[in-house]
Amino acid sequence: MAMINAKNAHYGQVDHKVENISERKGVIILPSPQAWQKLNWTRKYFQKKPKEGYFIWVKEQPLFSLTTCIAIASKKVSQHLNNLLVIEKNIKAKANVVCRAVRSNLDCLHRAQGKLILKEKASLEYNHFHQWGQKDLVNPDYQFILGKDSQLIYNYKNLAPPKNLQLKTAVYNDDNASANLKFIINALNSKINLKDTVFLKGKNSQGIVNLRLVGRQKSRIEAVSEIFAQAPAKGHLDCQGLLVSSDSVISLAPKLVCQNKKAQLTHEASIGKISEEELNYLRTRGLSEKEAINLIITGFLDDN
Amino acid sequence: MFLEIKNLKVKGNGQEILKGVNLKIKKGECQALLGPNASGKSTFVQVIAGNPKYQISRGKIIFRGKEITKLPPEKRTKLGIALAWQNPPAIKGIRLDRLLKKINLGLKGPKRKFGSKLDFDGNLLSRQVNLDFSGGEKKMSELLQVLSLNPQLVILDEIDSGLDIKRLEKMARLIRKELINKKIALLLITHSGTILRFLKPQLTNVMLDGKIICREKNYQKVLRVIKKYGYDKCKKCPLWAS
Repeated sequence: MAMINAKNAHYGQVDHKVENISERKGVIILPSPQAWQKLNWTRKYFQKKPKEGYFIWVKEQPLFSLTTCIAIASKKVSQHLNNLLVIEKNIKAKANVVCRAVRSNLDCLHRAQGKLILKEKASLEYNHFHQWGQKDLVNPDYQFILGKDSQLIYNYKNLAPPKNLQLKTAVYNDDNASANLKFIINALNSKINLKDTVFLKGKNSQGIVNLRLVGRQKSRIEAVSEIFAQAPAKGHLDCQGLLVSSDSVISLAPKLVCQNKKAQLTHEASIGKISEEELNYLRTRGLSEKEAINLIITGFLDDN
Repeated sequence: MFLEIKNLKVKGNGQEILKGVNLKIKKGECQALLGPNASGKSTFVQVIAGNPKYQISRGKIIFRGKEITKLPPEKRTKLGIALAWQNPPAIKGIRLDRLLKKINLGLKGPKRKFGSKLDFDGNLLSRQVNLDFSGGEKKMSELLQVLSLNPQLVILDEIDSGLDIKRLEKMARLIRKELINKKIALLLITHSGTILRFLKPQLTNVMLDGKIICREKNYQKVLRVIKKYGYDKCKKCPLWAS
């Protein structure tokens, strides 16, 4: 979980109000509307004037993490965020990003459009944590533009999902760029629509996507995971679901589209249930049935 | 009596596997149960541990004066019954040290740690439970978990299979030190009987076709007969007919 640390560069927002910004040497952080006004070049990425959200521009090699925390603390709040993160050439950065509702009964809307630009030979580890209430609607739509020889590690983790989550992610890889994406979602009384697409546009680019989806009580998960190879490139999809409750549904659709005869795309997909043998084994270790199920789920979600 | 099994009949997948098993174990006693493959040994110990996969059609299991025939496995473990599985399943994503910590959290009384005494290559604890463990590593992991449960009655199902002689000796030394010397009751299930030479049980039982057909104080005698004639000799034993 991302923590506010005095050494980190940080952006914090609660409801619609920017609570704190901590800039550090070589890192510019602004609310998105200010970035739109002050920095003309950002307009091509924002496309339209943003109302709220963050702009982070990493110009020099940081010796600290970037952290953001977007929270909702009031009832019926509707956030419409436009976020832009730009990592300059040759820079390695790590970002811990939290989006959450402070309480579980706020009935809020969180809509976020994000664009993350990795310039040539840049590298980013982006850890994205979500924690929502049972009535919330959440709709993140992120695009990652990966320049030549850049590297992205994207980890999305949602162990407290909202009532409705529409999560859309697109990654565009230039030559030699690599993207490694992992989505971990533990659905409980939730409707989840997940769509991730990796476009391998550049020569020798690579994309790996891992989905680990758990369907607990009254959940409906639909995941579409796609890789398009438009150049000699390599891609792999690993989609795994664990259906815990019989009143839930998981639908996994891996899709490979190869538009270059030198490209190599592979996938594996499976949906399983909790193994009775594992469950009984753990019970003979003194764990209750519920504790054993939770441990098996934890292992499933953490397993690489 | 510490553990008493009365006329236990058990079904699995619609077939009768145990056909009226009787067994008594005293507090601190070490007993062995031998038998050929598919004679019902593993089913028997899984039923004592409370595995809900099997249906008990008749009989009773009494442990420390309390009937536990219908008790769920976790409650039996809390009462002091610990089973080392013959073929334990892998728990993906969970490290052995994490499982041991979880086991310890659920226990009352002093916590026990045995990792350093058992660790095979120094990294067993940091690996996912039973995932890609060798046969010997699985046995070590099972014993480690069983000891961590602070047990009163330990059932070791084929703990000697897949171990080379050096590891078997190491395992046997630890069982003697941590269980037999501490007067913890022990039921050793074995197909080959190799481990009995190290642990010298007070009573040796033989199971054939879902029934215990022989009880003998001299384990060497039983081993000699089985080694010489196989379990076929047991089938011809006059006690079998009864």
